[in-house]
Amino acid sequence: MSTTTQTYSTASVDMPDESRQAHAMKSFAQDFGAVSALQIEACIHCGMCADACHYFLATEDPKYTPILKVEPFKQAYKRESSAFAPFYRLLGLKKEVSADELQEWQELLFDSCNMCGRCSLICPMGIDIATLIENARRAMFEAGLAPDELYQRAREQADSGQPEKSEEGYSDRIAAIGREHGIDIPIDRDSAEVLACVPRTDLEQYPEAVVALAKTLKHLGADYTFRSESLVAENYGYYAGSRDWQRKISMRIIDQAREIGAKLVLVPECGHAYTALRWQAAELAGEELPFRVRHVTEFLAEQVADGRLRLNQVDDEATAFHDPCQLVRKGGVMDAPRTLMRELGVNLEELPNKKGFSFCCAGGGGVNDIERARPLRYRAQELKLREVDGTGAKRFLTSCSDCRLAFTDASEHFDWDKRPESLLELVAANIKE
Amino acid sequence: MTILEFARGPMLHFALAVFVLGVIWRIVTILFLGFKRYHSEPRNGLVKSLIGGMTVTGSRSWPHKEFIGRTGAGEAIGYGYHIGLFIIVLLGTPHVVFWKNLFGVSAGWWPTLPGGVVHVLSILTVTLLLIVLIRRISHPVLRRLSNFDDYFSWFITFTVMVTGVMAVFGLGGRYETILAWHIISFNVLLIWFPFGKLMHAFFIFPTRAVVGYLQSRKGAAT
Amino acid sequence: MTQSDNNRSSQPTIGQVLDERGVSRRRFMKFCTAMASLMAMPPMMTSALAQNLRQARRPSVIYMPFQECTGCLESLTRSFSPSIENLLFDTISLDYNHTLFAAAGTAAEAARHEAMEANWGEYILIVDGSIPQGAGGVYGTSAGESFVDQLRHAADGAAAILCVGTCASFGGIPYANPNPTGAVPVSEIIHDRPIINVSGCPPIPAVMTGTIVHYLTTGGVPDLDKYGRPSVFYGQSIHDRCYRRRFYDEGKFAKSFDDEGARNGWCLYELGCRGPTTYNACATVKWNEGTSFPIESGHGCIGCSEPNFWDQGGFYEPVTSKLFEDRGQIGGAAAAGVALGAASAYAASRRKKKRSETAGEEESS
Repeated sequence: MSTTTQTYSTASVDMPDESRQAHAMKSFAQDFGAVSALQIEACIHCGMCADACHYFLATEDPKYTPILKVEPFKQAYKRESSAFAPFYRLLGLKKEVSADELQEWQELLFDSCNMCGRCSLICPMGIDIATLIENARRAMFEAGLAPDELYQRAREQADSGQPEKSEEGYSDRIAAIGREHGIDIPIDRDSAEVLACVPRTDLEQYPEAVVALAKTLKHLGADYTFRSESLVAENYGYYAGSRDWQRKISMRIIDQAREIGAKLVLVPECGHAYTALRWQAAELAGEELPFRVRHVTEFLAEQVADGRLRLNQVDDEATAFHDPCQLVRKGGVMDAPRTLMRELGVNLEELPNKKGFSFCCAGGGGVNDIERARPLRYRAQELKLREVDGTGAKRFLTSCSDCRLAFTDASEHFDWDKRPESLLELVAANIKE
Repeated sequence: MTILEFARGPMLHFALAVFVLGVIWRIVTILFLGFKRYHSEPRNGLVKSLIGGMTVTGSRSWPHKEFIGRTGAGEAIGYGYHIGLFIIVLLGTPHVVFWKNLFGVSAGWWPTLPGGVVHVLSILTVTLLLIVLIRRISHPVLRRLSNFDDYFSWFITFTVMVTGVMAVFGLGGRYETILAWHIISFNVLLIWFPFGKLMHAFFIFPTRAVVGYLQSRKGAAT
Repeated sequence: MTQSDNNRSSQPTIGQVLDERGVSRRRFMKFCTAMASLMAMPPMMTSALAQNLRQARRPSVIYMPFQECTGCLESLTRSFSPSIENLLFDTISLDYNHTLFAAAGTAAEAARHEAMEANWGEYILIVDGSIPQGAGGVYGTSAGESFVDQLRHAADGAAAILCVGTCASFGGIPYANPNPTGAVPVSEIIHDRPIINVSGCPPIPAVMTGTIVHYLTTGGVPDLDKYGRPSVFYGQSIHDRCYRRRFYDEGKFAKSFDDEGARNGWCLYELGCRGPTTYNACATVKWNEGTSFPIESGHGCIGCSEPNFWDQGGFYEPVTSKLFEDRGQIGGAAAAGVALGAASAYAASRRKKKRSETAGEEESS
């Protein structure tokens, strides 16, 4: 398959065009609350969002202008829900979004958008473009136009709790990691204060990160457990744009946490998992959750503040830190990683675009999983790699395994002299006993 | 009925009615679409989030330093003609007396600027509007994004400006005729206002406030 | 020069009349110089003007007053004597004007018919006042004839028609809303004769004279603006020639008639001055032998030489002000906006539901 052809989600290859439209409309219509409507109405086509987007900056191709990615949905809104919708329909001023158009937009909404939200920060009108894109992705999913990789993994995760079938189940895998590294990893305890979960990326690529989490929690004497029913932190339903599957996947964790009476759900180093659990799970569940949700860096920073966690000073090697977009721009986890780095005495060379303005790793939003998006992703990543080089840093830290995966891939591709490292691993390695 | 009488009589009356009707209609529709209740545990409480909303309402008026290198020129032009328009519309004597008369206020405190200053500003603003158009046509992103709304909204604003300048400098015909066309084009602007992007005048601050509130609620970057 | 020489041959030339009355050459040249400057002619044209004027045949003038207030005639006749305007009025053969006539009733009417017949096709018809057409024209009759009929008849024999004042030119005050008499200007009734409008309420005497002089010296209709007024007198707005213009440019305005600005003689724009939309020679020729004009006396121009000047809103409302009173309809529009907005949102939610159902059906099928 060439990199530009569109893919239909496996289950819906035979979906008739009218049906695609109806589904897309239904889904998008659900999002037409006053907040979305206000944002759709407010756009003045100033084009500034392009200047925030790493895809546009890397390619200078105007089709990657963020707000353009939701253009069909703006049209749909005007036809369906705006004040003058009857006139638009009557006079045919806004065409119904066609299935062809939707297909054309698949690349724009999925391959070339990490929903990183940098565009939302630049918009002089205050439009949260990233959220509109999230809504548009949901419509695409309903129209059977989510990229098949994401569709498959979301369905699999919704069904089995595991995005992809693997030779050994994930709960076996995590147990094996514990055995290999000689550390006790509690799984499926009946009750615990803290429910932990883990990125599948770590299980498959960075087992050291899993170990680091277990080691740190053990040191803190945390009353915690993993649950095999809800082991995976990522939410492919969120990536693919499936409201139902996203909810189903989140509900696994929510139900497990309820079952064990957890007071805290600990999100590992994973950005989208944080957005999905910290902010969206309660909305999809339609109720307040009986536990708190914290990112592991937030949790550890609290421990440092309370004096329960003390760290050794690391070497003074110049270090750059990548702020994962989901944590800073969508999640509000801004200072916790810096608290930890300060405690570690990290010689931090901040990037020019730091904290809320951090350039995305270009792998988020499921893009890591879309094979055909790889060449475009590398182009977008170059920006970031150059920026890191510019600081003169030798060490490159982040606190999201999806970002880490994307940068690992890029550093191999570009034969870069740095490898992304996990802040959590650095913390775990320097705990003052 | 002369054309000037038509322009500031029945047509102005009609245009104002359409303007008021359309603007309220469009805003009320949005409000009635309803607001969601949020269930997630907020990072910041209501007061802090509301303050955040208000802060963003103001702070988005200035680009973040991370972006200014790329957006500075566009913002400068945008600011330029907006300021020009506002000064001319709010401080030019014929406009001030128009507003006073329209709203039925005497407002002795309402100052006016010397004609010469307004004339210079008008010419600058017209020039900036031309640059805006050239930019919209030549900038790849803007060209790709632009639709009828963008061009027509520009056109009608430009027409109001140009007829105003012509009336002031006595160009293109008799004063009352050009004045009539100035008012007619303003009427068209009023009529078009609720249907196109000119509505951003009403949307800009609520949109910023909402996004500022929601981001502050999460403690996320604004 | 078509109708001049042979048609008017029965009349003496103006030169002869002047000589007869002992008007000195000096005084005549002074008059001509004034006229030439009024008509914006270059100074060397003065002698040519004088020569033409002396040679012109003394015209027969029929002056018909209709629905009017006599203000225009007052203006023309009450200028200081001996004025240059008077000079011309003394010179022309005013064959009929029932206000000025010593004769009255049947005798006056007979004189009019006689004069018209004698100069049929040659006389200048001066019309003063609008013509009421309502109810078959009964709102204005004289000697058993309606004004409409009188005008039609008089116009038939006229070489040209001079409308004196805004009423004859544009309908004026009788024409103002709601115009109960169905008044119209001359131009709405007569279409086959040259019509020169000398508007103003009243018109400036010198402008009136200048127009007649122009007609006599060239024998033709002067260059007219779009309202049929001689461009030479009505070519520029009061505002453009106003001595207070610099205050407008500087942004100095009187805000009331008794404030500092008013005392300092600042621009009266905000007090409703119609200078910007009014075309007349007031600011240059002035009134009462060049003494002053309304703005100089501290009151804004009311635009009396413009069509419909009576219906342009209050005289103290600026020229850009709205021309409607009712604000209720705007309030109604606001209420309607709220209702339509609510309805639209309801319709949108209905469509939302419908969409969900359709999509659902397809899903299950």
